Amino acid sequence: MNRYRTWAALAVALMLGAGAAIYYAPTDYLQGVVQKIFYLHVSSAIAAYGCFAVVLVGSLVYLRNESAAADRFARSGAVVGVVFTTITLVMGSLWAKPIWGSFWTWDARLTSTLVLWIIYAGYLLVRRMADPGRQAARLAAVVGIFGFIDVPIVHFSVTWWRTQHPRPVVVNDALPPQMLATFLFTLACTLVLAAVLIGIRYRIETLLDARLRAIEPAPIVSAAPEAEPTA
Amino acid sequence: MIYLVIAYAFAVATLAGFLVWSLRTLRALERKP
Repeated sequence: MNRYRTWAALAVALMLGAGAAIYYAPTDYLQGVVQKIFYLHVSSAIAAYGCFAVVLVGSLVYLRNESAAADRFARSGAVVGVVFTTITLVMGSLWAKPIWGSFWTWDARLTSTLVLWIIYAGYLLVRRMADPGRQAARLAAVVGIFGFIDVPIVHFSVTWWRTQHPRPVVVNDALPPQMLATFLFTLACTLVLAAVLIGIRYRIETLLDARLRAIEPAPIVSAAPEAEPTA
Repeated sequence: MIYLVIAYAFAVATLAGFLVWSLRTLRALERKP
């Protein structure tokens, strides 16, 4: 437990550092101070991609060799990924209101991100509603694998379709150096926090699995038929 | 400015809440035999 507290404290310290960096980052000439939503909005989206990649890898490994550890990793990645996707959607809406004039528009990037959230929220719902066991784990693994198809759709939606959401600015060298440095620092802090959260969730899933095994009834072993009494 | 404050307040509250809830769940599971 103390080990996790230490990691959590480190992650919180990093996030506080990121907050300070965002505070001191230069203000955008056109959008003003609201542009600073960018730093955590984009970092959260990338962290969510990473979490869903953990679900993908965990699900593939589970379907291949039915490793319980891989299934636990997939469950941990999904719950943390949904948290980061929620932050991405809400921060994006709050950024859209003063810039676009509305909180939401049904363009390809926003819609595909909402679909991503629904897919992995559904994944978590399957895990919660279904009786724990091989069947539920296999079904969730299939959802986890096919759900990941939406991640590249979300990422490339702004280049494949005409969208109100802007195209990527980081990979196109459209950020001034100070903003880029602030973004990279925030991204690193967010990824560390995501990794710490997945680690904590993995430990929780391990303990829950152990508890489940402890309360499971012992398998019924059929007794050998008694020999017929001979006359 | 208000949107920036609300956005970061939401993000911090969500992440901090999730972290604290996870740590509390972990502590409860490790304490119980």
